[in-house]
Amino acid sequence: MQMEQKLPFSPGRGWAKINRGLINIGLSLYAIVTLYPLFWLFTSAFKTNEEFDSRPFYLPEVWHWDNLSRAWKVSAMGTSLINSTIVTIASLVLTLLLGALAAYVLARFQFRLKAFLMGLFLLGMLIPIHSTLVPLFIMLKKVSLLDTYWALILPYTAFELPLAIFVTAAFLTVIPKEIEEAALIDGTGYWGIFFRMMLPLSLPALSTVAILGFLRFWNDFAFALIFISKPALKTVPLSLSVFATGYSTDYKLTMAAMTIAVIPTIVAFLMFQEQIMKGMTAGAVKG
Amino acid sequence: MTTSARIKGFILIGILPALLIYLFFVVVPIFWSAYYGFFDWKGIGAAKFIGFDNYAEVVRDPIFWKGFKNNMLIVAASVFGQVPIAMILALLLTRSNLFQKMIRASVFMPMVLSSVVVGIIWSYIYHPQIGILNFLLDSVGLENLKKAWLSEPSVSMYMIMIPIIWNYIGPYMIIFIAALQNIPSEINDAAQIDGVGSTRKLFQITLPMIWDTIKVVVVLCISGSLKAFDLIYVMTGGGPAHTTEVLASYMYNSTFNVYRFGYGSAISTSIIILSLILILGSQYLMKRDYR
Repeated sequence: MQMEQKLPFSPGRGWAKINRGLINIGLSLYAIVTLYPLFWLFTSAFKTNEEFDSRPFYLPEVWHWDNLSRAWKVSAMGTSLINSTIVTIASLVLTLLLGALAAYVLARFQFRLKAFLMGLFLLGMLIPIHSTLVPLFIMLKKVSLLDTYWALILPYTAFELPLAIFVTAAFLTVIPKEIEEAALIDGTGYWGIFFRMMLPLSLPALSTVAILGFLRFWNDFAFALIFISKPALKTVPLSLSVFATGYSTDYKLTMAAMTIAVIPTIVAFLMFQEQIMKGMTAGAVKG
Repeated sequence: MTTSARIKGFILIGILPALLIYLFFVVVPIFWSAYYGFFDWKGIGAAKFIGFDNYAEVVRDPIFWKGFKNNMLIVAASVFGQVPIAMILALLLTRSNLFQKMIRASVFMPMVLSSVVVGIIWSYIYHPQIGILNFLLDSVGLENLKKAWLSEPSVSMYMIMIPIIWNYIGPYMIIFIAALQNIPSEINDAAQIDGVGSTRKLFQITLPMIWDTIKVVVVLCISGSLKAFDLIYVMTGGGPAHTTEVLASYMYNSTFNVYRFGYGSAISTSIIILSLILILGSQYLMKRDYR
């Protein structure tokens, strides 16, 4: 997005400025409408229930910060944040390590089944995740993995691997062969090349994969809904969904709990927005 | 150990862990679900083999086709709602100044929220008593339009499409911006010198130049619409009276609410088959070369 470019339709010189101005106003309005539900969420989290009801469009008269701490306690947000963190980090480590290793093999070696394996991983990007929920539930039940962290970690990793492999492999194919050959002559083994050259070199690709994976794992609802029923293991989206139905009349508390829950992803987005936006594009176009 | 054996060993150890996890959790379930579809099974106890009965029932099940129709409505909303809006935004947002970056980020923002949060926020917006939609209608004097938006069968499905459109415009916009920025600037310059009008340029130069991208986006709309489970589960659960049921929610309800695991598996298999047909079909239809 660095390349500067003219508008695809360029108006006459005199009107150009006015047009630009109108377009910018239109764009700003659109952005405000898009962000409004979020703004409403954040302001409602600090209101009383009466205020939430009677003055929905205004800022809170008094900012009730204690809503947040109450919501934290009542919704057991601490436990679910810990669960989400454990599951997300474990899935990320597995996805990055196994994905990078497979990508290295698929990008830098020639062997018979290569094209077939690439096709197989590509297929995974076309399969609707939800259609595997029922069989996965039965399979996980049979191997007694239901209601464990693994019931989330392993499927998350499996479904993220195709993206990880394609993004990383695309990155690794362009590295000149000579670097690798020089290392081999120096007596470095393939593992050494992988850990000391390929992993550091593919860091930009891996960080994209990591951010996208973080968002996917952290926000996932369907797998958690079906594979987790123990309250002590609930992830953030799952406990939010339960909380919202259970406390359906204490709206400000639900809003406060949701505010706490969205902060990590919004902070991540504000920090890495270019990478997130480009990464989602790369992943999408590859598939 | 010879070099070639070492290479072979490394390839094997390198690819195997990823391949095994992927096969076990992504590929194998597809076959299991096709297999369980042949059984009458309540999730516990003995499963009874009943041949193609479940599949035959799926084909005749009006609720299944209702779900399919709703999935198609979501596809339509994506293709004719999201894609044009994303395209217009992209055409206006190809520059990289701070203002444009902020607008892009705002449009993209809903993408990083959990769909549970999105679903709850919008349920509250639509809420008959506390919702801001009814409040807004009240304050502009349109009380007679007030509704229980999500429990009114005639409108509930359309009300669900709005947050879906709202949620997913961002990535399509970014994809289009990247494609527009890839058009060589000489082409735009040449069009300008030749005095090509802006509408004509849009339809005869810009859109054909990014046709491949549009194809990809349409496929993404289709596969994305089949994922519309979370929002519907949170907002309506498929109700009232199955009016907002999509294939995935019907599969969920059949399996985990009425404990028909065999039937749920048959629905899963049908979802895979339908989505592959849709994706391949859309690819074929859009093959027409516009250049």
